[in-house]
Amino acid sequence: MNSTPIDFFPIVIQFFVAAGFVGITMFATHFIGPKLNTRKKLKPFESGVQSVGNARQPFAIKYFLTAILFVLFDVEVIFLYPYAVNFLELGMSGLITMLLFMGLLLCGLIYVIRSGALDWE
Amino acid sequence: MNVVIALTITGILNLFGSIFSYRKITPLLSIIGLTTAIVFNSMYWNTNQSFFNHMMVVDNYAVAFGTVCMVLAACLIIFYNRFMGDNDHHLPEVLSVIVLSVDGAIVMVSYTNLLMLFLGVEILSISFYILAGLKKKDLGSNEAAIKYFLMGAFSTGFLLLGITLIYGATASFDLSVISEYVKLNSTSTNYLLLSGVLLILVGLLFKVAAAPFHFWTPDVYQGAPTIITAFFATVGKIASFGAFYRLFQMCFSPIVNEWSGVIMVVAIITMFIGNITALQQKNLKRMFAYSSIAHAGYMLLALLSHDYLGGNAILFYSIAYGISSMSAFIIIHIIQTQTGTDEAMGFAGLVHKNKTLAMITAISMLSLSGIPLTAGFFGKFYLFSSAIESGYVLLVCLAVINSFIGIYYYFKPVIESYFKDSITDDVIKLKSVETILLIFLSIATILLGIFPGLVPAI
Amino acid sequence: MTDLVWLVPLLPLIGFIINGLGFGKISKNTAAIIGCGSVFLSLIIVAGIFYEDLGRGGEAVQKTYFTWITAGNLSIDFSLLIDRLSIVMMLIVTGVGLLIHIYSVGYMHNDVGFGKFFAYMNLFMFSMLVLVLGANYVMLFIGWEGVGLCSYLLIGFWYKNREYTAAANKAFIMNRIGDLGFLLGLFLIFKTFGTSDFQRVFSSVQSFSSGDITITLITLFLFIGAMGKSAQIPLFTWLPDAMAGPTPVSALIHAATMVTAGIYMIARSNIMYALAPSTSEFVAVVGALTALMAGFIALTQTDIKKVLAYSTVSQLGYMFVALGLTAYSSAMFHVMTHAFFKALLFLGAGSVIHALSGEQNMRKMGGLRKHLPITFITMAIATLAIVGFPPFAGFFSKDEILTAAYSHSMFLFVILSLTSVLTVLYMFRFFFLTFFGEFRGTKYQIDHIHESPKSMTLPLLILMVLSAVGGGLGIPEALGGKHFLSEYFNHVFGGNTRIQSHEVSHFFEYGLMIISMVLIILIYQFTKQRYDKKVIGKSVEELKMSLWYKLSLNKFYVDELYDKIIVKPLNGMSNFFFNSIEKKVIDGAVNGSGQTVYFLSSMLKSLQSGNIGFYVLMMVIGIVAILFFSLINTITL
Repeated sequence: MNSTPIDFFPIVIQFFVAAGFVGITMFATHFIGPKLNTRKKLKPFESGVQSVGNARQPFAIKYFLTAILFVLFDVEVIFLYPYAVNFLELGMSGLITMLLFMGLLLCGLIYVIRSGALDWE
Repeated sequence: MNVVIALTITGILNLFGSIFSYRKITPLLSIIGLTTAIVFNSMYWNTNQSFFNHMMVVDNYAVAFGTVCMVLAACLIIFYNRFMGDNDHHLPEVLSVIVLSVDGAIVMVSYTNLLMLFLGVEILSISFYILAGLKKKDLGSNEAAIKYFLMGAFSTGFLLLGITLIYGATASFDLSVISEYVKLNSTSTNYLLLSGVLLILVGLLFKVAAAPFHFWTPDVYQGAPTIITAFFATVGKIASFGAFYRLFQMCFSPIVNEWSGVIMVVAIITMFIGNITALQQKNLKRMFAYSSIAHAGYMLLALLSHDYLGGNAILFYSIAYGISSMSAFIIIHIIQTQTGTDEAMGFAGLVHKNKTLAMITAISMLSLSGIPLTAGFFGKFYLFSSAIESGYVLLVCLAVINSFIGIYYYFKPVIESYFKDSITDDVIKLKSVETILLIFLSIATILLGIFPGLVPAI
Repeated sequence: MTDLVWLVPLLPLIGFIINGLGFGKISKNTAAIIGCGSVFLSLIIVAGIFYEDLGRGGEAVQKTYFTWITAGNLSIDFSLLIDRLSIVMMLIVTGVGLLIHIYSVGYMHNDVGFGKFFAYMNLFMFSMLVLVLGANYVMLFIGWEGVGLCSYLLIGFWYKNREYTAAANKAFIMNRIGDLGFLLGLFLIFKTFGTSDFQRVFSSVQSFSSGDITITLITLFLFIGAMGKSAQIPLFTWLPDAMAGPTPVSALIHAATMVTAGIYMIARSNIMYALAPSTSEFVAVVGALTALMAGFIALTQTDIKKVLAYSTVSQLGYMFVALGLTAYSSAMFHVMTHAFFKALLFLGAGSVIHALSGEQNMRKMGGLRKHLPITFITMAIATLAIVGFPPFAGFFSKDEILTAAYSHSMFLFVILSLTSVLTVLYMFRFFFLTFFGEFRGTKYQIDHIHESPKSMTLPLLILMVLSAVGGGLGIPEALGGKHFLSEYFNHVFGGNTRIQSHEVSHFFEYGLMIISMVLIILIYQFTKQRYDKKVIGKSVEELKMSLWYKLSLNKFYVDELYDKIIVKPLNGMSNFFFNSIEKKVIDGAVNGSGQTVYFLSSMLKSLQSGNIGFYVLMMVIGIVAILFFSLINTITL
């Protein structure tokens, strides 16, 4: 595979063509297309429902915490599926490993509960 | 692997400190855990064992770097507890995060599988994001955490992409397989592999704060609590360089010609940006952030050496740099709490307030600027001589110029503390433990500057 | 005990650290106990090592503790070499050192810097022991520099006196000139042998032929180092000035131990020197000329310590002659006896100065034998020892060097004999001026005159015994004796096949002894007549001086000469460089580059905007640049 710099010339051309196409279309549509900005057009569109109020409304942080904790423990459970499939092949050492893993998760859960992360009030 | 297990158990035990109300003993617990891990670690010396289905190999290199990281972390925990412990509501959690991040550092210096590299980097980095934002009500601290997290996540993406590309080229994560592959195919350029190498390079350059991936460093170092900054600047940097050197020396040395140019240019830019920008900084934490960038530039030189010398050089430099910057940051913290400022003028008249502290400042600054009879001198000496042996004379010349520039700003606090009059006349009183530990670090600096042979060859 | 050898230098170092850190905090008694105690413990260990070595039969032991510096192929170990040469040196250093430490307790008792003094003395002991124990040239050099530093610190001990600090500077600078030669020799050794380890250097040097140019150069460079440290022409002028330091310092550093470092170094490198006959020749000639010149200057000096200082220079010259004649064991013999009697002379002089509240001019002394009986007796023995009257120590060691000179060259023999006569003259002059005749000092002095305390007289007495019987280690065969020392050193120097034999007929030796005895007695009579009087001749100003007298009194104008041809031109040059080049060119360049860097710094600072989007953009640009750079790079590869 002997390649000389000149062999890359088509790539360079293609690079320019691609960049040029993107640039030209972006600018061209900007200038050519008609512009009609009405109030309704600029409104955020959400499944046809009229939007009410400001989207940047503060939420209670507790929602995030609960959501994050859910994701965390939910994702870890995924590891149980491959283990269930290979349950017989992995045998005793697999069981111990898995128990260790669940034990660590349990530690996390204990910490979460005891530190009061799930208390709503 | 006992070290990782010991550290993990220590971390988990610490975590429960506040729940089961034994928070008072968690510092002791962390120190005991770290000491146990250090003992376990030193027992692996000269054994070269492999663990976890050949995911990690504990060779002398790993033992040496791991010990350095753990000793520094132990010092840090002592300082953290003494200075912050009483006021910190989350002490057990902080200690837990610190110990677990050391776990990451251990993985980073002993991996033989790219997945483990990624895991180590993530364990370390995520802990760091949390630690940067420890002062929850401080705007700077929050800013530091979010900046560090965003940019860190961004760079991790490149690291991961690099690993993927290398997997694509070599069909393996295992370093030995990759290195075999690279050796066999080193005659012609494999662009898939090279792109992977370069992207991993980018990811790791970010971690060690090399230009142009250094922009997070000053903001994060300044915003984070000073003691945590000390942790970033020492353990974080040393572990990252441990990982960096291990990967590039083990796997990619046959194609060194394809990436050495990048490292050279990056090293030069890093040294100059670090040193030159540090000159004008008034805030000491910021100044030391730039200084740590400059040090990263010097340490990149070791990656270019062809033989074992580079490993020894980078180890010695890590120790010298780690000890001196640890004491420098601790002193900044002490001054900061006493005078309320973290600018150089806070050091004014330090010699009248506390002679020992002024002395320790002087020693650590001398070491950081690489003056003979301190560890920093031999660190630089080994680094530069390893680069010269590999034929990078011009690079070393530039590095020497940079060392001279560095002297200017390292002497600022020394001049302030010895030749300026202080704003206040309060005497700084330190508890004996801190003083002893700081003096111990200074003695180590001097001792290594006189007997550099004390650090064993790896 | 041999396993404990690392403690020998370490103990004084610990003493230094405690006394140095605790200066001003610990009491004088504690400082004295720490200072003397550490040396005493070292001496005990050295004695144990000596005893074990006798049992072992003199085999050299090398202890390597750790690798000190590794840089590429170069590796320097921290290792100690214990052989009979280093054992003898250790015995001298710790033995005489201990006595002088004890003496200092009395001598320095009223000084505010008492603790500092002991700290420096201990540091000196450490450096000197590293010097003699080091198993490679680098360790030797470290000790060499260390003793130089301590010498500087101790000469300028009374730092408030400008003249004293000037003397300290002079000593330091002259030594630095010598050290430059030593360093060049060291580099050449590294270049030639790839190591600085004594045993490896000496085994690989065997393959060189005699007169090899590299070896000649190395030995010459090393000898330049020895010239500085051991005060030989042309670098000898610092030693008399070094008498500014406290008298125990003069005794320990500038008479007994440090100044013999050059002799030790050459004896240690004897294999190389024997391979370079032209260097050896040079060493002998320089030594002989120094001996003669210093002896001649000593004739007219009036300062009690200056006389002894020039006498030291002269005796060192003797030792170098012996080294040049490859009579290494004779040189070491003289080092040993000289250490005894010269330390004694200095300490005795210190006792006199102490008694007279700081008076050093011999013209204002006299008749002290009644007031200072112990000092008088000890000094009498020391004087007899140095002039070489049998059976005292100097007789045997000097006799050996003289016979060696006779067997080698008539020229050297004549010069050394002449020097011997001069030695007798100035020593008896010194002796009579000080202890005989009538007291010529002030009333105040005579009222306060007193014999020194026990801590000072005890070392004097011990040293007196050593000076009296020390020669017994080397009784020549002509007197039916057995030369213990040369047999002892056979393990060190015996392997050197190029050492020349210095056999002379017994008849000649008898003749030499008888002639020297007769001469000594004659000169004794002569000086007694001249100086054992109430009133000493006219003072220097009134005297109508002969040319030779002037030359001697003004030390051959060497200092003035150096001032004219070296110091003045150098000062002129440095003024020129400072005013035109330094101020304009260099400062301009430095300030200019400093400002440029500062300007760059403010530019770079503005890059750090704090905007995270910008940071990420810079990162992306960096990544693209790296990828692009590598692409170009691989294409051009």
